[in-house]
Amino acid sequence: MAWTREEAKKLAEKVFANSRAPECEVWIEATEAGHTRFAANDVTTSGSARDLTIAIVSRGNGRSGTVRVNDTEEAALKTAVARSEEVMAAANVDPEWVDGLPAQKYPEIRAAHEATSKAGAPERKSGVKAALDLARGRKLAASGFSETTARWAALANKRGNFGFSASTSAGFSTTMRTEDGTGSGWAGLEAPDFSSIPAAELARRAAKKAEESAKPRDLPPGRYTVVFEPQAVSDLLGNLNSVLSRRAADEGRSFFAKPGGGNRIGEKIFSENVTIRSDPFDARVPGRPWIGSAGGGFLGFGGFAGGNFAGLPARKTTWIERGVLRNLSIDRYWAKKIEEEPLPFSGGLVMEGGTGTVEDLVAGTERGLLLTRFWYIRTVNPQTVQLTGLTRDGVWLIEKGKVVGPVNNFRFNDSPVNLLKNMEAMSAAVSTGDMVVPGIRSRDFNFTSKSDAV
Amino acid sequence: MTPSRRDFLIGCGAGAAAWATLGLLPGEFLVSRVDAAELSPQMRKELAAIALDTAKKLGATYADIRINRYRSQVVTMRSQADRSTGKLNHVPSVSDGETYGFGVRALAGGAWGFAASNAVNREEVTRAAKEAVAIAKANASLRREPIRLASAGSYQDTYSTPIAKDPFSVPIGEKLELLRRAGEEAKKNAGVFLATGFIAQRVEHRWFASTDGSFIEQHVYQIAPEITATAVEQGKKQKSRTYRPHSVTAGYEAVERADLVTNARRIAEEAVNHLKAPSVTAGKKDLVLLPTHLGLTIHESIGHSTELDRALGFEANYAGTSFLTTDKLGKFRVGSEIVNFNGDRVRKESLSTCGYDDDGVKTRQFPIIKDGIFVGYQTIRDQAHLIGQSESMGCCYADSYASVPFQRMPNVWLAPGKSATTLADLVSGVDDGILIDGRGSYSIDQQRYNFQFGGDAFWEIKGGKVGPMIADVAYQSRTTDFWSACDGIGGEALWENVGLNADGKGQPGQINAMSHGCAPARFRQINVLRTE
Repeated sequence: MAWTREEAKKLAEKVFANSRAPECEVWIEATEAGHTRFAANDVTTSGSARDLTIAIVSRGNGRSGTVRVNDTEEAALKTAVARSEEVMAAANVDPEWVDGLPAQKYPEIRAAHEATSKAGAPERKSGVKAALDLARGRKLAASGFSETTARWAALANKRGNFGFSASTSAGFSTTMRTEDGTGSGWAGLEAPDFSSIPAAELARRAAKKAEESAKPRDLPPGRYTVVFEPQAVSDLLGNLNSVLSRRAADEGRSFFAKPGGGNRIGEKIFSENVTIRSDPFDARVPGRPWIGSAGGGFLGFGGFAGGNFAGLPARKTTWIERGVLRNLSIDRYWAKKIEEEPLPFSGGLVMEGGTGTVEDLVAGTERGLLLTRFWYIRTVNPQTVQLTGLTRDGVWLIEKGKVVGPVNNFRFNDSPVNLLKNMEAMSAAVSTGDMVVPGIRSRDFNFTSKSDAV
Repeated sequence: MTPSRRDFLIGCGAGAAAWATLGLLPGEFLVSRVDAAELSPQMRKELAAIALDTAKKLGATYADIRINRYRSQVVTMRSQADRSTGKLNHVPSVSDGETYGFGVRALAGGAWGFAASNAVNREEVTRAAKEAVAIAKANASLRREPIRLASAGSYQDTYSTPIAKDPFSVPIGEKLELLRRAGEEAKKNAGVFLATGFIAQRVEHRWFASTDGSFIEQHVYQIAPEITATAVEQGKKQKSRTYRPHSVTAGYEAVERADLVTNARRIAEEAVNHLKAPSVTAGKKDLVLLPTHLGLTIHESIGHSTELDRALGFEANYAGTSFLTTDKLGKFRVGSEIVNFNGDRVRKESLSTCGYDDDGVKTRQFPIIKDGIFVGYQTIRDQAHLIGQSESMGCCYADSYASVPFQRMPNVWLAPGKSATTLADLVSGVDDGILIDGRGSYSIDQQRYNFQFGGDAFWEIKGGKVGPMIADVAYQSRTTDFWSACDGIGGEALWENVGLNADGKGQPGQINAMSHGCAPARFRQINVLRTE
């Protein structure tokens, strides 16, 4: 059920009317989501869900207590407020306490699309059918996922701060595998507007990759020049926002820490052509107008998203400019400590690209590999941002500017820092759903073993 | 060790002013829980009748409804010196919550449909039942063959995790105080930069009714305490060591027996020694893996590869498929003859243990690997016939009322060695090897062949004896090579019920918790990397 600004305000007021703590915050997150899954060339599961999380945070005198509920009835809210106050009173004083925010000015970000909020199983069906028909006709096995979500979020506190946001997101992805199990291709896209996702085109791309990656030849692990498709770049840069922490750098426990003390802001660390921003206003990867959400999750481990960034207005920020580290994110506690302004990472990561296509990157490669995407990336060494993970859904050998044939998958042990240091060329930047990044050609990427997986 | 009454009162006393604001005495809770409108059994039955009748009238051949309530609480503490004053700060975070809702599943026209909502009332249940059938019908023409369900039986039953002490009855202040003392203990070691800890607890109140005539009510309690110490060499390196008492289905007794404070001292020392330890020399080595480490290796290599939905390609678009294809069932050798794995959802305290799965199937134990041969998949009702079986192994689960139930991993555990093998026996047979504990970086490919795993504590083994700590260790192997290289498994006395809290799978993503019990085991000539 769609929420309005007034309904969110009214719910917050009901909470505040029952609040006895010096400060109280309310975070609301309501969703209406639908999805269709398909696999082994059949539709499998499909459903819709209406859900709601209301996080009530009672705060005062250095203590805070959070309670999450999903019942909007007045009696239920009253109980929840009382419980949050008791949780607050039971907590010890937080030595890193920051006061509640006064009223903020949140930016308007257009991220709600009717084509998404109105899409149901019948609307999702055409994309799913296109993938299934194509796979059945070409002796491929298709699996995939089509999803639409409408989301309403609000935050409010007793000091008069209030924000409301409506947004939508949609996604379609498909994996096609050849009958003999030696070829696999993937293509997918997420976007706020369901009608902008070319499901049939994505299915064709996945099928082509599956067929062209079949019967790969054996290639030994080692260091290779690699052409990373935008999705592969996006996979490798996935945890960059958490690495860009000023506090972790100042405390000496991050790649951006200086040995002996201090951080590396101002140092030229990456290739000259690397410029990376976060931009909540980019219509391809819009952010919400503020930092944080109602949180929650399984076992409560979703936590209270936002921490000491929670409630700060979203803003566009340049983190790396022409290879130089310009900024690191600063939460409100750390800002007080180092006497600087808080600086959140908000919205999607946007990397400046070049002008050509991935094909142009291939054409300029003497010998190297072309990669579709990665899988199961984990941090091996947080200090060097060394990661490990595997290639997936298509790896090809490039010789003298041409793709000469598919090769096996690999495990890599390397760092996105090296990707950005050893970069030789970029294609134009495109959206992968959560970031805007170019395809990249980079030298000496380290593959440590072969993977038999397809 | 539990905090003394005196310590607890000191902890509360500091908050007297905050309690006074509420007009209460310290520690006095008037609201014992966020108890929003618990449904009466009659009301639940009425809502179930609405859902199942509506679905049937619209043409569903099968339908079920889950009306579930989840209560969770997470108490965390970070202990770290203030940058300016050097004073030891203990930074708390407490959250508590209770959410509930329902999900209706319907099989119509041979396809599945599902609809869920957090608003539990007659109108919304009616709407959702109609929508579930409409979704099924909308997709039915895309199916080449109708979905078939293995029989589940019909049960009117209840199940409750046996608990000695309700974790929700233990005051939050007592939990914070325990974590504060553990953090303080870890920080007594000057080499420790920060210590973190949490106690997470959850109870799922699941209520299930189906057109098979089942009405099943279950209360499943899960609890997970944990503490971590991190040592840092400014701008150069850092090492974290975690003490993770096995997360289990049990009450607060699991925290009380865990002795967090004494173990905080131990992990602090190990984190600091790890930071100073020399790097490993890469090459083939024998590994002796302790349960807290081996549990996750089991999860990734055996747990996921023996899921039938993966083998059939149902998860190909995200989690992946499996090298254990259906033609291998009953004949393929995965490991050496001493390797035996079972799946179950019945073993005491294991995280996936419950009475019935989300298909309404009674839970059980079943063999997965027998004498090294692959003999059984994890299955649910709509898969069994696809491999010629007539019953489900009871592995269906949804992580929320709003999530579609699907095949999830049960407890998958390694049977102990037959003789009373000790850790010393395993180590004494190693000339050049490594003893590994804890979890580090874990990564495995989408068909579960190639993996690279690290730990958070490593000791050199030379000439049959455990030596000093070493660092920067990861090992790479293939699942079948690795388990075929297993030549020693500890005896029953060393078997530990290792729990895993948050395994992700599916689209939309869902979380699941299960246990991978095991005793220490030895693996010969595994490829070790230096990760520095």
